[in-house]
Amino acid sequence: MGKKKSAVYSVEVNGIKDIETVDEGDGKEKYRGLKNHSGHKKDHQKEELKKELDLDDHKLNTTELEDKYGTNIIRGLTSTRAAEILAQDGPNALSPPKETSEIIKFLKQMVGGFSILLWAGAVLCWIAYGIQFAQDNSVSMDNVYLGVVLALVVIFTGIFAYYQEAKSTNIIASFSKMIPRQALVIRDGEKKEIPAEQLVVGDIVEIKGGDQIPADIRILASHGCKVDNSSLTGESEPQSRSCDFTHENPLETKNIGFYSTTCLEGTATGMVINTGNRTIIGRIASLASGVGNEKTPIAIEIEHFVHIVAGVAVSIGVIFFIIAVSMKYPVLESVIFLIGIIVANVPEGLLAAVTVSLSLTAKRMAKKNCLVKNLEAVETLGSTSIICSDKTGTLTQNRMTVAHLWFDNQVYQADTSEDQKAQIFDQSSATWASLSKIVTLCNRAEFSPGQENVPIMKKIVVGDASETALLKFSEVIMGDVMERRNRNRKVAEIPFNSTNKFQLSIHETDDPNDKRFLLVMKGAPERILEKCSTIMINGQEQPLDESTAEAFQTAYMELGGLGERVLGFCHLYLPEDEFPDTYPFDAETMNFPTSGLCFVGLLSLIDPPRSTVPDAVTKCRSAGIKVIMVTGDHPITAKAIAKSVGIISANSETVEEMANRLNIPVEQVNKREAKAAVVSGMELKEMSTEQLDEILINHTEIVFARTSPQQKLIIVEGCQRQDAVVAVTGDGVNDSPALKKADIGIAMGIAGSDAAKMQQTWSLLDDNFASIVTGVEEGRLIFDNLKKTIAFTLTKNIAELCPFLIFIIAGIPLPIGTVTILFVDLGTDVIPSIALAYEKAETDIMNRKPRHKKRDRLVNQQLALYSYLHIGILQSLGAFLAYFTVYAEQGFKPAQLIFLRSEWEDDSINDLEDSYGQEWTRYQRKNLEWTGYTAFFVAIMVQQIADLIIRKTRRNSIFQQGLFRNKVIWVGIASQIIIALILSYGFGSITVLSFTTLRVQYWFVAVPYAIVIWVYDEFRKLFIRRYPGSWWDKNMYY
Amino acid sequence: MTKDEKKPFEQTLGEWKRFIYNPGNGQILGRTAESWGLILLFYLAFYGFLAALFTFTMWVMLQTLSDDIPKYRDQISSPGLTIVPKPHGALEFSINSSKTSTYENYVSAITNFLRAYERERQEFHTHCRNGTLFEQDDLSPKRACRFPLEMLETCSGLQDTSYGYPEGNPCIFVKMNRIIGLRPQGTPRIACAVKEGKEVPLAVFPQNGSIDLKYYPYYGKKLHVDYLQPLVALQVMLHAHNEEVLIECKIEGSPNLRNQDDRDKFLGRVAFKISMAH
Repeated sequence: MGKKKSAVYSVEVNGIKDIETVDEGDGKEKYRGLKNHSGHKKDHQKEELKKELDLDDHKLNTTELEDKYGTNIIRGLTSTRAAEILAQDGPNALSPPKETSEIIKFLKQMVGGFSILLWAGAVLCWIAYGIQFAQDNSVSMDNVYLGVVLALVVIFTGIFAYYQEAKSTNIIASFSKMIPRQALVIRDGEKKEIPAEQLVVGDIVEIKGGDQIPADIRILASHGCKVDNSSLTGESEPQSRSCDFTHENPLETKNIGFYSTTCLEGTATGMVINTGNRTIIGRIASLASGVGNEKTPIAIEIEHFVHIVAGVAVSIGVIFFIIAVSMKYPVLESVIFLIGIIVANVPEGLLAAVTVSLSLTAKRMAKKNCLVKNLEAVETLGSTSIICSDKTGTLTQNRMTVAHLWFDNQVYQADTSEDQKAQIFDQSSATWASLSKIVTLCNRAEFSPGQENVPIMKKIVVGDASETALLKFSEVIMGDVMERRNRNRKVAEIPFNSTNKFQLSIHETDDPNDKRFLLVMKGAPERILEKCSTIMINGQEQPLDESTAEAFQTAYMELGGLGERVLGFCHLYLPEDEFPDTYPFDAETMNFPTSGLCFVGLLSLIDPPRSTVPDAVTKCRSAGIKVIMVTGDHPITAKAIAKSVGIISANSETVEEMANRLNIPVEQVNKREAKAAVVSGMELKEMSTEQLDEILINHTEIVFARTSPQQKLIIVEGCQRQDAVVAVTGDGVNDSPALKKADIGIAMGIAGSDAAKMQQTWSLLDDNFASIVTGVEEGRLIFDNLKKTIAFTLTKNIAELCPFLIFIIAGIPLPIGTVTILFVDLGTDVIPSIALAYEKAETDIMNRKPRHKKRDRLVNQQLALYSYLHIGILQSLGAFLAYFTVYAEQGFKPAQLIFLRSEWEDDSINDLEDSYGQEWTRYQRKNLEWTGYTAFFVAIMVQQIADLIIRKTRRNSIFQQGLFRNKVIWVGIASQIIIALILSYGFGSITVLSFTTLRVQYWFVAVPYAIVIWVYDEFRKLFIRRYPGSWWDKNMYY
Repeated sequence: MTKDEKKPFEQTLGEWKRFIYNPGNGQILGRTAESWGLILLFYLAFYGFLAALFTFTMWVMLQTLSDDIPKYRDQISSPGLTIVPKPHGALEFSINSSKTSTYENYVSAITNFLRAYERERQEFHTHCRNGTLFEQDDLSPKRACRFPLEMLETCSGLQDTSYGYPEGNPCIFVKMNRIIGLRPQGTPRIACAVKEGKEVPLAVFPQNGSIDLKYYPYYGKKLHVDYLQPLVALQVMLHAHNEEVLIECKIEGSPNLRNQDDRDKFLGRVAFKISMAH
């Protein structure tokens, strides 16, 4: 298997693959991977699997089948019987994998890591209010408001996130809701067209080329029926179906057609033996639900962040609780302090900012054809370290295309780009004229009618992939193939079959003076060559001698070695005297010569790589992402494509190649020296987990060929064992376990089957590998920017917390109130923190390694320390300066404020003396306190502007990054100032908000500190750039 | 499979132990002693710098202040009224004229309060001209006007050192909060009335409850050292009643002294309750 042809890989037109199916002989093996994994999951899945393999309908003959399903092969089921079975079995459709109900989805949005923190904060607030209320029922409602606001933040953010996800889910859903499929069924002795969903077991259906098989069917009759089983087994070659029982294994036998596979050509009649979820594919799809879902990396990061915040909050809370108690505060009041401190640490605005940032990125990605199902997954692609990519459709254009031609002893290259505008090879040779004629005539593929205005490359063709390629190729070069075929009427034809391995047709010629018939033939090159005695060189027939045969062999080997499917073409003008006009050509008896033909040339076909892919792969490589190709195709093709797109780079070798070059046995090669590895499914099957791990570790460029899609799951798990974040592309239902297991499942939008799309986190609408790279880039950017957002938001937490701590310890009038804090967190800071999501990358983010899942955290120690203990403290000082300025200028000098609290807050003292001998009523003091709040608030706002500007970059100077490149930042800054102005001057008279109209000069008190913050951070960045790897770099770079 | 399972307790404990002290690389709490030294040194320097910075900015700010008068009086444009004595908590006197303990605190509070107004202490104070503001912007030191206690008649404590409490006619003193530079306009006076309860007679001293303008303006604690706030005494004649009355006193007769603020119950007014038993 597979070894039969080691050097040259060719597949004949229409051919049954000369390479047998991957796992011939033991279909069970295909499920080995799955079984291993489902084994310790749910027993009933094992049962399901067994049942599937117990399928024995393929062994039964028609009468037994009729008995079994109570049907009649000629007349079909009766409508009434069909209705009964339908009622009993349900519709013939895959039930989507347990759709979580909308309510659950909605609620899930509100209990994520972040939300929990806010909920906890809200509950603590209410508890604190309860305690306070029990003591004194005239206590301020601040804690209740705070709790309500926290709850509202969670709820609104939840609604927003839910809405965002519902939107992208809808877009994805719109793809799966394609035209309802129809099935041609025989019921009550009549042929009817019914929706495929209504098919029941026992129905007799007819299928023809182009149809999707509507259920698992046992083939009863077939005419040249070929199916594409790739979505089930990953084998891309068409497989013929007939009514013969050819294999014990239901997956291998030819007389079963599987649900969701496509009939490529021919017609067949079959009896439905399984519908809906009981079909083979339905069972595979249901297996996916048994595969554990991994948490998205960003979810893990946010959890980690919540741990940090909660840890800090609780530690500070407890420390100050102890301090408060030892300062003889009553215990209950100390508990209130404890709760207050914990709640003050909750970054209220961050949840909203993160959610909005993620959805902005999601939107940006959607524009570039990547759809994200779950907002959190936006970042995942950025942390991807391994991409397991499909070949067909993702790396390649998913259509056979003529890549090379060989005639006149010369290899010509054809244009394989997507639009194929310029075919630049030399077309002047007479040989080419003959070759083109054969290509045009010896071809059964046809354009579907009614596509006059469609570009050639996009026209829909009836016929198999190779013939389609040849048809389009000749249409592009010579124009109007159909017209030319009409002028050269076909008089006889032998379609391809596996014994002949050639296709032949006989035509009248369009030359009115030439009454000869033209016999044209194409097929496996060596077979064609056998039938030839001459060869055409420059339009002249020459005898086929040693040297020409050798030239042919070289060309054949060369093209085959490129992984291309090589076809040979030959022709013969039948002598007019032997074959007159009226000669009765008979394809059955072959009453015409099939040898001594004239060899004209070779064409080789390949599914060419998408033009954008090599670039994308290079980008991945420089971004430290390993691209692994996983394909059902033959190793040689796979390797050729891998080489042409750069998955295997030009100068790297496999172990085998090294052995070849060094002329030593494979065993003696140092495996570590070989960068590349091509592993076939066969080898993979025999490998132990350790061996697989070894391959994944030792080789940087890996191609898995001939793998069954189920082996994808094994590969994915292997990668995950290396702590890699694995992205997997897939489109078939059978891929869904691997897609689900992967850290990020990328469903290919256009070709992807519905069930696969249910499992994925991502959809690529254009099936293009390059789009993944875009996703990686955006994902990395958002990770960086979230860091900035979080750092920005955390900083002011300290400035909001310190006042409370000083208030407890030094007994000063409260510098900033709860409501005011909320206006910072949910007012002035919201737009700026979102604006950071628009920040451009500092350096080429595609030039660094993917982040390590466990080491490179979103919120690391450096970030927390720098935000809390550096900038946060600076901000607090600036804000306190503003606070003391206001109090001192209004009459209370700093020294007097210490331990003034109990008098200050005493409602019965209405003649409190200030530092100048003036006396204050309680309400006048309150007004001053609010002025203090407002000044503190404004000071934080002013310093947050500086904070916003320094957070634009983590390493580069602001001047390198450009102050004005991100316009949204300026919108953010403007919003900060405008909101503060409105609060102070607009709402200054509304008492519950506790803002006052602030004197103009108080707005500028903290400006020096804002400047210090900025200068300090510039120095930090300067030292980081100057001394990479130094103590400073290690401790100050977040 | 790759899901993190619960680690056994011993392992967690071991990890913590290793975190606290890792003998392998000599790390304590995740840092080596040297690294701890460096980081502490850094924070010492950094916070030293911050402390200096803060001190400096505070110093600069304080330099801009005058010792004599505050820069702004944004929140105190109009004075509040308060009473002496002041019951603990809410302004509710609960007096039993036959029980000394119910009022002795009040009496001593008044005595203390009036001590500043004793004749001997006012000896060097100025006799100011009645009815006009006593402007002395150019004077230094500022001089205080006399406030003869006699003006308070029966509440002056000169004849009755217990201010009418044992008789059931308690004296309560109303004063206006000091505000630097406040210049009342018109002829300010304290008007008191029973708001709730029986219309008991109220006696106000000095006559009419008037507050003479000569006590204004006030120049502040530092410049105006001996300043005496004008007082208005209110005697509530409850000797014949077992009553609870709510009395409100307001500043009247001065356009620039506000006495109606929805939020500030003490701005130019004060209300208190007296419940009297015998």
